[in-house]
Amino acid sequence: MELWRQIFIHGMDMFNLLIVSYFFIGNGVYTLLMVLSLATVWLYNRRLSYQDMDEIRESPVTPPVTIVIPAWNEEQIILETTTSTLQTDYPELEVVVVDDGSTDSTLARLINHFHLVKMDLIYRPHIPTQAVRGFYMNPEMPNLLVVSKESGGKPDALNAGINVCRTPYFCTLDSDSILERDALLRLMRPVIHSPVNTVVSGGIVRVMNGCQIRDGRVTEVALPKSSLERFQVVEYLRSFLFGRTGWDLLGGTLIVSGAFAVFHRETVMEAGGFAHDTVTEDMDLIVQLHHWAAGNKRRIRMSFTSDPVCWTECPATLKMLGKQRRRWQLGLCQTLWKHSEMLFNRKYGMVGTFSFPFHLYVEALGAVVEFLGYFMVPLAIIFGMVPAMLYLLFVLLSLAYGGLLSIGAVLLEELTYRRYPAYGDLARLLWFAFIENLGYRQLVLYYRFEGVVRFLTGSWRWEKVTHVGVTQ
Amino acid sequence: MPFLIENVTKVVLALFVLAVLGNFFLIAVVFLRRRRRQKYFSRVDALRERYGSIIAGVISGCIAYPDGLDELRQISSPDRLFMLERLCLEKKPTLEEEPLLRRLCEDLGLVKIWQQRLMGRIDQASLREALINPQGLLRRVKFLHFLIRSKSAESLGLIRHEPSWPLLVKALEDPNPDIQMVAVRALAAIHHPGSFLPLTEQLHKAVLGSSSSLSVRAVKAALVSFPLQSAAELGPSLRHPNSRVRFLATDIIKEMVEAEASGKTDFRLDRNNFDEETAGIFLTDLPFDSNPDVRARAAPVITFLDDPRAASTLFTLLEDSVWFVRLHAVRSMARHRFLSAGDRIARALTDANWRVREAAVRTLRGFGRPGLDLLTSHFLATRDRYSREQVADEFQRVGLIPELLMRCAETGNGRETAVLRNMAEMGKTSYMISVLEDGEGKGKLRKSFLRQFGRYPDPQIHQWVEQVAVKEPDVDVRSLAQEALAATQQRGEG
Repeated sequence: MELWRQIFIHGMDMFNLLIVSYFFIGNGVYTLLMVLSLATVWLYNRRLSYQDMDEIRESPVTPPVTIVIPAWNEEQIILETTTSTLQTDYPELEVVVVDDGSTDSTLARLINHFHLVKMDLIYRPHIPTQAVRGFYMNPEMPNLLVVSKESGGKPDALNAGINVCRTPYFCTLDSDSILERDALLRLMRPVIHSPVNTVVSGGIVRVMNGCQIRDGRVTEVALPKSSLERFQVVEYLRSFLFGRTGWDLLGGTLIVSGAFAVFHRETVMEAGGFAHDTVTEDMDLIVQLHHWAAGNKRRIRMSFTSDPVCWTECPATLKMLGKQRRRWQLGLCQTLWKHSEMLFNRKYGMVGTFSFPFHLYVEALGAVVEFLGYFMVPLAIIFGMVPAMLYLLFVLLSLAYGGLLSIGAVLLEELTYRRYPAYGDLARLLWFAFIENLGYRQLVLYYRFEGVVRFLTGSWRWEKVTHVGVTQ
Repeated sequence: MPFLIENVTKVVLALFVLAVLGNFFLIAVVFLRRRRRQKYFSRVDALRERYGSIIAGVISGCIAYPDGLDELRQISSPDRLFMLERLCLEKKPTLEEEPLLRRLCEDLGLVKIWQQRLMGRIDQASLREALINPQGLLRRVKFLHFLIRSKSAESLGLIRHEPSWPLLVKALEDPNPDIQMVAVRALAAIHHPGSFLPLTEQLHKAVLGSSSSLSVRAVKAALVSFPLQSAAELGPSLRHPNSRVRFLATDIIKEMVEAEASGKTDFRLDRNNFDEETAGIFLTDLPFDSNPDVRARAAPVITFLDDPRAASTLFTLLEDSVWFVRLHAVRSMARHRFLSAGDRIARALTDANWRVREAAVRTLRGFGRPGLDLLTSHFLATRDRYSREQVADEFQRVGLIPELLMRCAETGNGRETAVLRNMAEMGKTSYMISVLEDGEGKGKLRKSFLRQFGRYPDPQIHQWVEQVAVKEPDVDVRSLAQEALAATQQRGEG
């Protein structure tokens, strides 16, 4: 009995240490990222004063780009997305919408709206995909091509888009997203100006819920009405403005949102295209590209820029939020597991030595540690192993520090882009940043924990998030 | 555990207090920042309201220059220069506005300040100024001076201040990549002939790896924007031992020529607009360069050369062993004067590489009706499956099917019918069916199609005929469809 008691006490001690290390490593790195991002984004914003868009728009050496939009049952929003994409300000632009075997009227709406006709065009499957059912074009609108194919999932649809794409770069865009007019020009700037081959360029994704949309454009930016959506606004700001920016500065980019990113076509094809064996094909491709570059001794660059904006619809219900977060967490675990040889591998530079271990420990396993912590630590208090006061203080510290990081993200937004002009919206944003750690964080943590459980139990199915459509 | 309990409690408490204070501090900063920005913008708005129309009037000539200048000199505040700069350069000036805007910037003293700042002579701000004004901060912190210097270079480029080009050339050697990049852009805007060579040197450095901060694309974009007359200065680059330098020089000249030729149907390169020696290199050296990229990029320039050797050189490139050289050669022949070489181009329709086949189809299509006739003849005569696929692809993409169906209905059994028959044999019937299904008033078209193709063993056609046989309101069309259906069924039973 004594032995079991000792094992229990030691186990609890170890777990407490794990919690404390998770807290300090996680928050320490996040603080570093926040400080770096504050400096970088402020500086970048200043540098914008002498970065002329006309130069890129008018230059004959600006490379043409194809925007690939994979769509599955997106009848609510597909027309707005396609219309806004076609209005994108870019000198040579093609748009490819890949209908991945939708069972609703996604394809029909596109055909009717853009007066498309079915054509039997040549399809060269450089990357293998499900069979293509047909191509739809309007000869009067040669820069729009709709591909209808058998359902094979988002990566398959993206691969089909790459197969029909003819330009050196392609941009992936989620079918529930709306691009700002000059977003692509801004996204291509690092590609054009970098002396190193930039194979990926990611932009910022912002929450469209609550905004006014007219003719495929966001005409008025405002906060959404529901608390759930407002929390996500804060989350997106934190994730994109200081998470991605910070990792980019450190050269440890492991995630670029496939909702809006530009890729070098040849490189992606050489790396094998989007893989089907994870549910977050965008993250998997980024890690795969690191892998490919190290294996082939290629010097490549992945860039993140915080001013090209893509607006997206975030989940408006708990059910949809759960589906989204479970998928993200499952995909993270799958990708890290798939590329586990990169862990602490100096061959992969900053990614292998710092970014990959951080994502594994804090982002993937952290969900388990934090979730269990909510049960284990009270257990330790009951057994008299941790004083209640210390536990309470620690919980308060974690809440206050979480709030600090979220408010830091709002400050970053205010120092740079100031997309929410109303004072009321700013105050609400700060309030939701402050209280985000009381309830919402735990809710998301639960979904993340479920994602890890699904990974461990092999329940690796894609959960579709359906959108209500926020267009007006 | 004693470590966690006794020592950590105080630390955690201290950290908690700090975090809470941090929260409130950041919230205060957010609101202060918002307030300050609002004040700043209302000041800019007020200045814009008062002086914006004066600047617009002066540079458009509506307001007498001395009067306008006097008014603008009255702006007095610590950030006067910044405000003036902002107001003057708020909109990109048109070509007509540029001279007066330049003069205005010179007379207001802005140009002199920009030049000084570009050279690194920046008046340092006091600590107070740095704390209350972001511009002051930039002037105070030396590490941030590059922002002011880059902005100055940008401003000089924006008003195309020609006398500043030597300073901008000097800035090309600055260690800061931003200053280098903006200087490249400003020089491209000013177009002074004297800056072409220094930019070429930057290109060499970027290619040969001795300068890592400038991208090849940025320098190339700058060089391309110069007038064609500057191309002669790329002669040594065209003969450079490094093949990538030769490639880029060729590509830059190609872009310059294409920009010059844009919108001019009978544009030619002759001794009046193109250096003879350079033309010679394009005819004698570059088509035989060891680097296929060079050969490929030379083709579009050779197309424009007013020289009897040009056509034969292009034909040589059409037969090149590397596919993308053939691709560029075919593409570059998409000009009406090469219509007579249509047969040579048509040979590329059976090229082993699909991109060359595709380019050949598009080149011929670009010739208009004669090109289309060539494509049609080839389509009907060739047995090369891939070539036919390519031509059929283009027929659909350019929207030719409705026209073919119309002509088929008018002429009965002409070439158009044969083209449609071939396409039906290839299973490319979706577009035809879409045209027939779409809209009213297609009775004649449907009748003709049913007569010609109603009994065709194509699943899509068969499905359509079945539908027409049941749903078509026009009795004649419906009975034709029923006949076709009966014949198909009989054949099937037989």
